[in-house]
Amino acid sequence: MVGLKIDGLPVRAAEGTSVLKAAELVGIAIPHFCYHPAFEAEGNCRMCLVEVEGLPKLELACSTAVKEGMTVWTSTPCVIQARRDVLEFLLAEHPLDCPICDKAGECKLQDYYERYGLFAGRFVEAKEKRNKKVAIGKGLLLDRERCILCTRCVRFLRKVTGTGELGVFERGVRAEIGTYDGVPVDNNYSGNLVDICPVGAITDADFRFKTRAWFLKKRPTVCPRCSRGCAVVVESVSGYPLGEGQRRIFRIKAGENPAVNGSWICDFGRAGRRDIDENRHVRVIRSAAPEEELSWQKGLAAIAARVRAVPGPERPGKIAVVLNSRMTCEEMALAKRVFAESLGLGKIFFADPKPGAGDGFLLTEERVPNARGAVQAGFSPRLPDLAALAATEILFIFGSHLLEHFSEEAVSRALAGIPSKFLFSAHTGPLDRSAELVFPIAVPAEKSGTYVNVDGLRQSFGRAVEPPPGVVPELEVLAYLANGLGLSRGVPDAC
Amino acid sequence: MSYTPSAAALKKIQGLIVPYPERSAALLPVLRVLQEESGFVSPEAEAWVAAKLGIQPIRVREVLTFYTMLRRKPAGKTTIRVCRNLSCTLAGAEDIIGFLREKLGVGPGGTTPDGRITLETVECLGNCDQAPCLQVDGIDYGRVTKDMVAALVGELEAHE
Amino acid sequence: MSEDAVRLLPADESSWRLEAYVRRGGYEAARKAVASMAPQDIIAEVRRAGIRGRGGAGFPAGLKWSFVPQGGPAPKYLCVNADEGEPGTFKDRAILVRNPHALIEGMIIVAFGVGIRTAFVYVRGEYARIAGRLEEALAEARAGGFLGRGIFGSDFDLEVVVHFGAGAYICGEETALLESVEGRRGQPRLKPPFPAVIGLFRSPTVINNVETLANVPSIVGRGADWFLARGLAKDGGTRLFGVSGAVRRPGLYELPVGTPLRTIIETHAGGPPEGVAIKAIIPGGLSAPMLMAGELDTCMDFDSLAGACTMIGSAGIIVIGDRTPILDVLKVMARFYAHESCGQCAPCRIGTSWIHKIVSRIAEGKGRPADLDLILELADGMKGRTLCPMGDAAALPVRALVTKFRDELERAVSR
Repeated sequence: MVGLKIDGLPVRAAEGTSVLKAAELVGIAIPHFCYHPAFEAEGNCRMCLVEVEGLPKLELACSTAVKEGMTVWTSTPCVIQARRDVLEFLLAEHPLDCPICDKAGECKLQDYYERYGLFAGRFVEAKEKRNKKVAIGKGLLLDRERCILCTRCVRFLRKVTGTGELGVFERGVRAEIGTYDGVPVDNNYSGNLVDICPVGAITDADFRFKTRAWFLKKRPTVCPRCSRGCAVVVESVSGYPLGEGQRRIFRIKAGENPAVNGSWICDFGRAGRRDIDENRHVRVIRSAAPEEELSWQKGLAAIAARVRAVPGPERPGKIAVVLNSRMTCEEMALAKRVFAESLGLGKIFFADPKPGAGDGFLLTEERVPNARGAVQAGFSPRLPDLAALAATEILFIFGSHLLEHFSEEAVSRALAGIPSKFLFSAHTGPLDRSAELVFPIAVPAEKSGTYVNVDGLRQSFGRAVEPPPGVVPELEVLAYLANGLGLSRGVPDAC
Repeated sequence: MSYTPSAAALKKIQGLIVPYPERSAALLPVLRVLQEESGFVSPEAEAWVAAKLGIQPIRVREVLTFYTMLRRKPAGKTTIRVCRNLSCTLAGAEDIIGFLREKLGVGPGGTTPDGRITLETVECLGNCDQAPCLQVDGIDYGRVTKDMVAALVGELEAHE
Repeated sequence: MSEDAVRLLPADESSWRLEAYVRRGGYEAARKAVASMAPQDIIAEVRRAGIRGRGGAGFPAGLKWSFVPQGGPAPKYLCVNADEGEPGTFKDRAILVRNPHALIEGMIIVAFGVGIRTAFVYVRGEYARIAGRLEEALAEARAGGFLGRGIFGSDFDLEVVVHFGAGAYICGEETALLESVEGRRGQPRLKPPFPAVIGLFRSPTVINNVETLANVPSIVGRGADWFLARGLAKDGGTRLFGVSGAVRRPGLYELPVGTPLRTIIETHAGGPPEGVAIKAIIPGGLSAPMLMAGELDTCMDFDSLAGACTMIGSAGIIVIGDRTPILDVLKVMARFYAHESCGQCAPCRIGTSWIHKIVSRIAEGKGRPADLDLILELADGMKGRTLCPMGDAAALPVRALVTKFRDELERAVSR
């Protein structure tokens, strides 16, 4: 450890730490564009210049390592002047299209201008004309006029994905970022380019012009799309400027978790935005009378009555459950209590999304977040035997992934003879038709809970978005059922 | 891949790569050989070099667009590079450039319609005591006058 | 031994060949170094001579060598900077053509002193034709046993590779040069780490200018005291002063460091032509802030020029006559730096271009009253804020010109 002083505050930092990072340890934010904690310092934006006592010139906070006894000043008039000058250069050729720029509101250029600039523009020359809409692949658009050449994108593709689709061409003021003869950015991590662009130069067609950054509510959660358990941030709008009661997820961005995903997430996880918004069940549906309003409490009470009607010793043979590994540890624990321990069921199965190809980086083959949690809860997840299901009288199906493993025809045939079948599913699908009652279930982003990732790491998370009215997490369903069955709910075991 | 350099160029390139501890370092010398042969470096040649040196074509493009002496488009058989930096400007470089423009009918960056001569203006050629100076295909000419330039161009045009 | 033995540029144009070089005592210093000197003594001797880099930055060469870690398994490299691109500079060209063996001998000595077995000579692409001479000289040296394996019967080997640039002023900056040798865009690296520790191919690397190395044989052969006796006590030796512009005898003049500018310009270069008076002098390549005619008595050494708020740089002197509008000079300057900025860092990329745009506008007769102050402020905005020294190289001469010729420029602006 090295001791130094930054703006008079004593700081202790590990040897090799940059002044910029050391300053963050004591809450001092040094402005920067090109620096990114995941990369080596590049030093091209020149925004993080600070005064180091004893050195004749201003030094870069991003690339200067802390030294014992060092004294650093980050806000002297000299430093502020340098920031103003660097900002003025960056803004000189920058377009004034903030009103239509997706980045507005979360743009470093804007933020720093407000903090250090607020000068009148002195650039009266003709700006360089550049292509403002270069499609660089995977729905990403590059605006070369907005680009400040921090090269974060280029470095990301060279150092993180190793795919290297972007480069810097030409030189001087004509220097620009581009692909090689239109060979597009094509990897499963392209969305991170938007996240790391400090200005509005790289935007995503999926988000472009859809909303303004300041309307977004940003909440962290754990990505449920595979078993990696990456930290993500769900960015949504509820109500204004949407209509009253409306909610929309505008994007999912990478969260930071050094132990799991660093600062990156895959495009597959990012596309999970649709999983939250699209094809959702929002009310209980009774197949016999689909138009009829039915509260989930009433529906569950009816189910509890049916279960109670089956004599205890017959339950293992007559009742079956299909769970899934998107359920949280808390939900699994309760499911274990209700179905295995209290009702004594043996026919407990799992139907998960089919494994996909892993990408060797973050995305795993398992397309569920909590397979380890299921095992830890005491389950031995296995696919249902359709014949075993067909022989039951009451069937609970949590999730809609059964059809990934069996044909629709086989499933409907197996389920045809079952008198009571209840589907608890977030999304609409063909399985709905086979169920007597369909309950609207929350997606992971609407839940709080715990997942155990592929490496056995337990990660708890809170709700990133409120579920639509009438939509409930499995935890509540199970708790209600437990009550209805006269079982003590107890405290869900940690699995 | 449709592009392959001549056998002679290929041999030269093999030799050029040897002294570098990393193959990719031979990029500039290899591009030089290819350009000497074809007058420019085509996208096909870029791809060929990239494969040869084990780098992505985009890295070749980055380099090609950085250095002013490397070309991505065909140019004239002969290149006249006229210095326009200070010592030469003080010695009348602008007049020489103007004269060449008139004589060749093309401005800096242009190639005569017959494809013989490309005119370029360049920064300091490091021949300042010989100002105004220029290079014809890399050969230095110093203390040039309009008469000398006229003779030079005449010779180039007469040459098959 | 003739006086030619210690001159960087022998009087006789044809004496570049190995035979002539050896006849005037060439390769004796290298032989002495390899056969009878300990490597650290070589570095110590050059350090004691205090020879400052002849490329522009003026860093003491021996000191630079001493930063290279001793021993270690990693290879070490020598890069010779023959990317002579500083406008007004043509001295390295002359050494390459007229005395290439002095450079080669200097390379042998530093390589032996530092423990280097591979050297790259980075020659600007524009010198490709004249570098044929260097390549011939290298072949002679190899054939003569001065390069290759077991030099002077020792176990010391040295291979030399000539690497050509392809048109980029910035590659004269030492870390940009390294990038260029490695086959990339010539974009300077952040320092530290310094090349002496992590340089070419991530290995310790010595980078020296051609003229610096060509001085090394005499320093080692004759000793630091001999070197210090020429030039100044703190700034020894001679330099190749290049004179161009408004003088009767433009050319290279090898004179002791510290020679007054007036002597170089008037006595050696013959002063301005008939009817022309000196308006300004650029003392060390375009990047050196200009001096006024009244500053002609400034001596050409590091300290004296620093005292005059400029620098000796590459010692390329450009004399500007009174018939030249200063705006013409500013135009060339502004265009040059904008054209040569690598574009990597913001202040240089945009600063050089912005200044160029303003100057071009003034030249079109569309000047605004605030322009000159703005140019000064932009120059200040670049100074000390860029990734490499080019920001200062571009800002300082512009600043000096605008300050010193403010009145003339005001008239151009309001025209």
